[in-house]
This record gives sequence, C-alpha cells and structure tokens, in this order.
Amino acid sequence: MLLRILVWAVLAFLISPLIVIVLFSFHSSPALSFPFAGFSLRWYAELFNNAQLGSAVMKSLTVAFLTSVVTLLIGTTASLAWLRLGKVGRGFIEAVSVTPIALPGLFVGVSLLVLFAQAGLQLSTLTIVISHVVIALPILIVAMKARLALFDPSLEEASRDLGASQFQTFRRVTLPLIAPTLISSAILAFAVSFDEFVVTSFVAGTETTLPMYIWSMMRRTVTPLINAISTLALLFSILILLGAWLISHVRRRSAVAARIES
Amino acid sequence: MNLSRTKIGAILAAPTVVYMVIFFVVPSLILFSYSFWSSESYRVVPDFVFTNYLDSLHSAVFWKVTINAVRIGLTTAAISLVLAVPVGYYLVYVSRSQTMLYLILITWFSSYLVRIYAWRTLLGTNGVLNAVLLQLGIVDHPVDAFLFSSFAVTITLVHIYLPFCILLVTSSLSEIKPDLIDAARDLGTSSLGAFFRVIAPNAANGLAGAFMLTFILVAGDYVTPQMLGGSSGQTTGLLIADQFRKTGNWPLGAAQAFVMFVISIALYFILVSLGRATGLIVKRRTINPKGI
Repeated sequence: MLLRILVWAVLAFLISPLIVIVLFSFHSSPALSFPFAGFSLRWYAELFNNAQLGSAVMKSLTVAFLTSVVTLLIGTTASLAWLRLGKVGRGFIEAVSVTPIALPGLFVGVSLLVLFAQAGLQLSTLTIVISHVVIALPILIVAMKARLALFDPSLEEASRDLGASQFQTFRRVTLPLIAPTLISSAILAFAVSFDEFVVTSFVAGTETTLPMYIWSMMRRTVTPLINAISTLALLFSILILLGAWLISHVRRRSAVAARIES
Repeated sequence: MNLSRTKIGAILAAPTVVYMVIFFVVPSLILFSYSFWSSESYRVVPDFVFTNYLDSLHSAVFWKVTINAVRIGLTTAAISLVLAVPVGYYLVYVSRSQTMLYLILITWFSSYLVRIYAWRTLLGTNGVLNAVLLQLGIVDHPVDAFLFSSFAVTITLVHIYLPFCILLVTSSLSEIKPDLIDAARDLGTSSLGAFFRVIAPNAANGLAGAFMLTFILVAGDYVTPQMLGGSSGQTTGLLIADQFRKTGNWPLGAAQAFVMFVISIALYFILVSLGRATGLIVKRRTINPKGI
C-alpha cells in the first residue's frame, strides 16, 4: 500500500508539470500564475498565424521523416544480421552502435561538428539528418534486440528446406515477422528526431528546427505562446507513441490469429 | 552462390557498423586529436601540445563548474535512483501496469525543452509553486530563490532523467526471478528484508549501471543549468559548448570534454570499488551449497 502511494507520487511528479503547461496554454491572460483568469484559445490562434513557426515545424517534420527512413533501412539490415550472427558478431554491433546512448548529446554533437568541419561539409538539413540517425539507430537496435530474442530461426531454415530462395525467405517469412518491431522502432526514431535539440544546435548551421525555434523563444521572453507550442508538441509525441504501440500490437495479434487459423 | 549464414550476417551488419564507425567512432577520434591541436586567431592548427589540458586543469573557472557538474550529477542520479527503485519494483513484481509504463514513456518522450520551460514556469517568482505557498500561508511574500539555483537545476534534471532511470532499473530488476523473492518470503523475511537481502545484491550491478548512466547524462547536460542555474549553477557542459560556438577555441573545448569524460570514468571505478568494499556490490555468486 505504502509502495503504491509512493509510486503514484513519483508518477504525479513526472506528469504534473506537463499538466500545468497544458492548463496555461488555455489561459486567457498572459500571466503564468494562479488564480486562473479563464479559458481561451487565443495563444493557439496566434500560433497558426506565425509563419516562422510554420517553417520550423515543416523543417522538423522533413528531418524526422528522413531520419526515420534512413534508420529503418539501416536498422532492417542490422536486424537481419543480428539473427545470423553469433555472440561475437552481436557484441561487435552492440559495441559500436549502442554507446552513443550512454553519452551526453553534447559529446555526440561536438564530435559530429568537428567531423563535418574536417570533411568540409557545409552544415545543412543533410548534416542534421546524419546526426539524428546516429542517435536514433542505437535506440532502434536496443528495441530490436529485446524483440528478436523471441524470433525462432528455425522458421527461416524450414522455409529454405522447402525450397524457397534466400530472397523469398526474407520476403515471405523473415520480413513479416520482424516488420512490426521495425515499424514501431522507426516511429520512435521519428519522435526522437522531432524533439532532438542538443546535437541539432551544433550541426544545424542556419537551419531552424522546431526545438531550435522554441529555444530562441525561450531565451528571448517568457511568452504564453510557448505553452501552446508545448501542448501541441506533447500531443504529437503521445500520438506517435500510441501509433507505435498500436502497430506493434495489432500486427502481432493478427499474426497470432493467422497462425491459429492455419 | 552459397554463402554461410555467418558470412551473410557479416555482410548485413556492414551498413550499421560502417555508419556508426564513420559518424560516431571517427568523430570521437577526431575530437580526441583536436584536444592536442592549437588554436591561433580562431583557426585550428594541427599540432601536438598539452596546453589545452594544462590550461583546463589550471583554470579556476573550469574546476568550479566541473565540481558543480559532478555535485549536481551525483545528487540528481542518487535522487533518481531512490525514486526509480520503488517504481521499478512495483512494475516488475507487483503489477505489470501497462498504463503506468506508458505514462513513464510519455514523460520520457515529451519534449526536453518543454520540461525545462515547465519548471521555469513552476518555480518562478510569479510561478505556481509560489502561488500555492502563498495561498497556504507558508510564506508571506513570493520566494525568488527557487529559480536560478542548484535546487532548480536538480529538480528539473530529476524530472528529465527519472523516466530513463526507471526504464533502466526496471530492465535490471526484471532479470531477477520472482521465485527468489517467494523463497525468501517463505523463509520468513519481511518484504523490505527480501528487497535488501535478495533483490538489491542481485540487482546491484544493474542499479550501479543505472546510477552511472544517469550521472553521465546529467553531468553533461548544459541546457538545464543554462536556463535555470543562474550564475552560480553553471556546469562544464556550457563551458565546453561555448568553445564550439563561432568564436570559441575548439581544441580547448575538446580537451575539456575529455577531462570530463575521464572524471566520469574515474567516478565509476570509485563507485564500484566503494560498493565492493562495503559489500553492497558483490560479484554474482552461484548458490553456495554449504549455506551462507
């Protein structure tokens, strides 16, 4: 009982600041304090007339989309490799690809900045995407590792024994089995990229993504507009997570159902 | 064409490995070599000097912000771990509540900047915390000191990194079989006793790992101190980040980053050997047939 209260208190600590932000995004007065003056949508209305914000959102969506596509492509080959490699090979993949999770964004950001400077690569959308993949790919690999532990390699062998080619086996057996994991991981990559700030601030050059725009607003003034942007960003991450969850569950359920039928 | 399974595996692993080598391993090595280069009138010159390291180590400002970073990092990691353990325990052994897990994931994936901004709103002079304290009559005029202090930085960093810490703790606890706890309970231990005598020793390595990972990420976070730390709450990260802006000294920044890195590694070894010395961390044993 005591444990339960403690756990819910921790969750309340995590959630309540976010609720406060959502609440104040509907505040009719610019004051960020109680008592609450009344509800209004004026901050949202102001947002939709803000062209700079609009282009920052578009930039973030573009970057996040490209990041998730590249992460998905590389991640798929990593998953297939994972199924075929022994302990040493897997350990090697993990060593080079999981370490960035354990490092501050600052370290990853400045080291990519010096790489781009040395290579003479101009900072642009491309450098942002390259950098976001460095952060998203490790997350995909960690997520995939847990799921692939449940994969039964004998299914691939059976398919080969029955005369399917390598490609047919991949197309008809392996891919359908690992697809839900890959797609939900790609969605997470999208979410990570959409919110990434620290690394981006080093490699963006003159490009402005949504977090960069929010940052410039935060530094200039305390404006209730930030509450409205934050609420929309929060809603967006919840939708993304929900999407990832639905895909992995629905696909798994339909796979199980299909197996029971046959 | 008949390649062996492992060979195909190696070919398939290539894109990931090549990508991470080019964009993670190589940049880290370049950064490391930068730390020995010199900077002349804002231009980086290949060199092999130790001045960047010596300048960092002899700088009072560097030590001040580094001690800040370590202190804030240790406090935040300790608070996060203390809060994460009950939540992890609850999620693993009491109820595998999906709702709870998703609430934690939502906070983890909610915007980093938004959370910093939220705490600035909450702790400000006209903020929610002051309003509540005034209403309750605990203070009679708003407290300015909440914002721009180590307190503000620590509470915000706990909020930002706690979800991550909870996920790490949950995964390390879920490796311990519930049978062990049942056995301890059957033998008459209280639930708290079972935690300290069965779970904690088995999970010690995982928990130490969660603590250190949280510490490294927190100590390297510079945006939160920049927004909430005021002049006294700055950390090494900001110093390093500033060197990589347009007019900075990149080699000096690189050296500072590696000093910070070495300090983190050193702290890890100190923590582990402290744990070993006090018996909190034990090498995983197989069951001793003669009893304990």
